[in-house]
Amino acid sequence: MNEQSSPVLEISSLSAGYGRFDVVRDIGLSVGKGEAVALLGPNGAGKTTVLRAIMGLVKQRRGLIRIGSTDVSDLPTHRIARGLAAIAPEGRRLFFDQSVEDNLLLGALHLRHDRPRAERLLSSVYDLFPVLRNYRHRLSSFLSGGEQQMVAIGRMLMSDPQIMLLDEPSVALSPVAVDIVVKAMLELRKRGASLLLVEQRIDVATRVCDRLYVMAHGEIVEEMTPETVRSGGMSILSKYLG
Amino acid sequence: MLQFLLSGIAIGSIYGLIGMALAISFYVTRIINFAQGQLMMVTVMITAELVSSGYPVWLAAAAGLVSSCIIGILSYLIAVRPILLSNRFSFGWLVSTLGFAVIVENAAAYIWSPTSQAFPPILNNISVPIGSAVLTGQQLLAIVTAAILAAGFEIVRRYTLFGKLGMATAADPEMASAIGANTTVVAIIAFAVSAAFAGIAGLLIGPTTFANPYLGDTFGTYGFIAMMIGGGTERPIAAMFGGLVLGICAEGANGLINSQASDWFPFIVLVVILIVSPKGLFSASNPLFRPRRPAAASR
Repeated sequence: MNEQSSPVLEISSLSAGYGRFDVVRDIGLSVGKGEAVALLGPNGAGKTTVLRAIMGLVKQRRGLIRIGSTDVSDLPTHRIARGLAAIAPEGRRLFFDQSVEDNLLLGALHLRHDRPRAERLLSSVYDLFPVLRNYRHRLSSFLSGGEQQMVAIGRMLMSDPQIMLLDEPSVALSPVAVDIVVKAMLELRKRGASLLLVEQRIDVATRVCDRLYVMAHGEIVEEMTPETVRSGGMSILSKYLG
Repeated sequence: MLQFLLSGIAIGSIYGLIGMALAISFYVTRIINFAQGQLMMVTVMITAELVSSGYPVWLAAAAGLVSSCIIGILSYLIAVRPILLSNRFSFGWLVSTLGFAVIVENAAAYIWSPTSQAFPPILNNISVPIGSAVLTGQQLLAIVTAAILAAGFEIVRRYTLFGKLGMATAADPEMASAIGANTTVVAIIAFAVSAAFAGIAGLLIGPTTFANPYLGDTFGTYGFIAMMIGGGTERPIAAMFGGLVLGICAEGANGLINSQASDWFPFIVLVVILIVSPKGLFSASNPLFRPRRPAAASR
């Protein structure tokens, strides 16, 4: 986190899971304003569970989650989604029987009474992904994987959240589509967005993020920067990521 | 033949409305509210009671509809939500909504006695000749009302933010909450709208059946058949088309086989249709109604 920036997301002593089983234990992390942070780790490390816990999608969670000045630890998901946090989930999870533009506008649900702001956000999504403007009336189920990922990121932007959560946006995409998604994330950073990115691809994480947390077996085991990864940290990462 | 067809469309409109009532709550929550027929009965009984107490028909009908909506919401809060909260994937609602139906039905029989009571004729004493056939004003009202409600529902579903939110909740409730939708409120509204559809069906059939606490059993079953024939589990308006098919088959069977044939013939139709088209005749997955992928150009 930049020394001068205040944390947009602050998590301490977070444990979360399903049933009687804690998937993640005693997690502590922070994301500063305008900062991009990656959560790296192998399958089953608990990265997605951390994002789901931030969104309130995991019922069983303990510890503190603060977004800006709001303690969201006990807030229901729909309240968190109203401008505090937004997620581009793993697998995109678009509303496939609706058009691209409807998917995007649903992302701005809490801004339905502030039409000018929603229009501005929609315009900024189309600036970020010009191809979506051409496809705005097309059913989202008829898009390619890369285009669907653009809609998922666009829908996340539409709620104008304080923190954006991206769950493996590069997974199952062609190299060209990965490049578009990475450039979009870099553009978001230029616009001052705060990102928490779950990734398995080290190259994507180091291109986009300022800091990287490494997770294994439900715990954060390392904190690194892209520079330390490049100057020999790769062997440490390989130990966890294989 | 024209008489069978028109009478079938008229009664089919009623079945279709109840089918849509079942389909709307199922569409949004994936729950079949087996008390839907009883919600229809509540409107009929309250309307009959208030009219017999001297209130004007329109006021009694409005009070009947509001009562159905309230009990529809209660059916969600009492019989559905607690079960989903404990386990989202539980099928406990199968029993709990049936139990709720039994309680409502027996409460009505206790309050109003199990025998039929008078129901205001509304337009039942008007005859409208159509070609060689004759419909009552009530039958015509049923057809027009069902057409308006089905079209209105589809317009709201496809072209309003609330309708699109309902579609989103239907497709992926967890993701809908992750974009800011209060899915509990959406479900409550869906149950209230369902109850209103069932109640309106009750107002349209009441002049023919009169007010009876056990009315919900028969019409709830026919509504369920209409939903399954049409494919209303995928899109509610298909239940209306299913209701029309059911109504025409039932009236045709009554006229062409014998006067009791409508009791069993629709079930045969249902089985045959589900074998031929398991998701219903008018479901979204039927190749005839599936949206076509656009051409790859126009980038």
